[in-house]
Amino acid sequence: MSALVDRAITAAGLAPIAAARRAGDLAQVRALAKVLDTADLLAVGALADRIRKDESGDVVRIFANAHADLGPDVVAVSLADGTKSGHAVLRRVAIARITGPAAARVRIDWSESGLEVAQVALGFGASELVGPIANRRGLPIADAATLKVKGAGMVSAQALKKRELESLLTMAGRRAVFVSSKVGLEEQPNV
Amino acid sequence: MSDITLGTITSKVRAGERLSFDDGVALFRHPDLLAVGQLANEVRERLHGDRTYFNRNMRVEVTNVCVASCLFCSFAKLEEGSPGAVTMKLEEAWRELEVRMSDPPAEIHIVNGLHPGLPFSYYEELLKGFKRIKPDVHMKCFTAVEIHFFAQHYGMTHEQVLVRLREAGLGSLPGGGAEIFHPEVRTRISHDKATAEEYLEVHRVAHRLGMATNATMLYGHIETFEHRVDHLLRLRALQDESMSAPARLQAFIPLAFHPDGNGMKNLPAPTGIDDLRTLAVSRLMLDNVPHLKAYWVSMTPKIAQVGLRFGADDLDGTIVHETIYSAAGSTSPSGLKYDQLVRLIREAGRIPVERDTLYNVVREHAPEALPESAFKVKDRKAEKHLVVL
Repeated sequence: MSALVDRAITAAGLAPIAAARRAGDLAQVRALAKVLDTADLLAVGALADRIRKDESGDVVRIFANAHADLGPDVVAVSLADGTKSGHAVLRRVAIARITGPAAARVRIDWSESGLEVAQVALGFGASELVGPIANRRGLPIADAATLKVKGAGMVSAQALKKRELESLLTMAGRRAVFVSSKVGLEEQPNV
Repeated sequence: MSDITLGTITSKVRAGERLSFDDGVALFRHPDLLAVGQLANEVRERLHGDRTYFNRNMRVEVTNVCVASCLFCSFAKLEEGSPGAVTMKLEEAWRELEVRMSDPPAEIHIVNGLHPGLPFSYYEELLKGFKRIKPDVHMKCFTAVEIHFFAQHYGMTHEQVLVRLREAGLGSLPGGGAEIFHPEVRTRISHDKATAEEYLEVHRVAHRLGMATNATMLYGHIETFEHRVDHLLRLRALQDESMSAPARLQAFIPLAFHPDGNGMKNLPAPTGIDDLRTLAVSRLMLDNVPHLKAYWVSMTPKIAQVGLRFGADDLDGTIVHETIYSAAGSTSPSGLKYDQLVRLIREAGRIPVERDTLYNVVREHAPEALPESAFKVKDRKAEKHLVVL
């Protein structure tokens, strides 16, 4: 975290809420949460990202099923109102991280937000992605589907998409773990 | 890059010092996207405050027949008569405006393939026809690549082409066709159209003639960060030259590469983080170009809106009918309504300003309270998990 971002967090009036979070005083965090609705988006995101890194690390767990592996520590960011505002989506994610329980699993559904916004949300506090493994046009594809990929021969289309997801996460400075909805099995990235 | 180096760059930016090639590469590689975004936002707010520009425009593509064979293009068809090839009759093109005269655009933005079989008079008549229908409409037409093609194909100089088109109604040039200037990339992805030097020369001539232009960069394919920074510096140098001319670059528009249906379909689709980082670095490097567009067609409306916090001050316009990006797999809609653009800008905490093509203010909307405050975290103990409402 750079000094520039530190200054931005302070300038946005977020130092008290950051201190309360560091002290583990969730009641105080939530009492101060109103400021998060209007503070500078990047400062709110930077604070959320710091909390995510400290409490949840860099691993991003990926689920094909939005209802998979739910638990008391899951904070699912609802976009059911169909907001078209990327700004609002990222603010919701950041607020979920800042005001959620310690080491929360902040989850965003890329079928609701769009993959691009979901990727950016990983820098605003999110640590889990859910959504169909899909081709580029957003349509679910069969597990067994294969594609001919230049320079790689015939590869599983689902694996290709996983590779794309992994690439997205690598670009976001994170590490992907795919979680099977059937048995909770965690897969390391395909390479 | 260490914090000290970002600190050095921050000091340079705040002192109004020009950033170097190495600074640009370091910014692209910096792991903290939000820090780079913060710095770009500082510059954006210093230049424009919260004002965010857009216009009422309409896209028309009159032909997709093209002699060039760019690897990234899903729009062009190489020959007249091949499946999907379209060349509008002049009346068909003009009809696109006639049917919208109840809510007319202020600008018509025309970009085409490089058609080898049309007479130059087709393009002159095209412009004149639109101006007959709506005399005050601004014609932002033909990329520098098209202007160079016209000069070669019809045996004229760049200046002669621009003067004749201006007499027919041309107002300014769009920025398309820049792709990536560096020959290591350009010779591989678009070897048979205007070179970087020719693209820049067309803009130079246009500026000398008093014609404003925009510029673009197609990123996210085979280029490196070094190629991107090289591209930005070439544009910055062009703008330095044009500061003494009667017109210059108005806006820079980074364009994300989309892979569907073209010669680079094995490459991954663009990412939101790359979109935002490219906007931010562009804002910081192009210290002499006043406006930076987050082109929503290329990066989706949601990411473009977030881009308004990463250096961008312009969302382009309503567009109405876009086919080039939709052919390449972009999931963006082909048009946005005026009110949707206003709302996107307001929800980003910015002030919507409707402009004309030359950035004269048409209407400045009043700032409005953010309509995104109705949510909070609710701890539902009876349920299995927390939900953000």
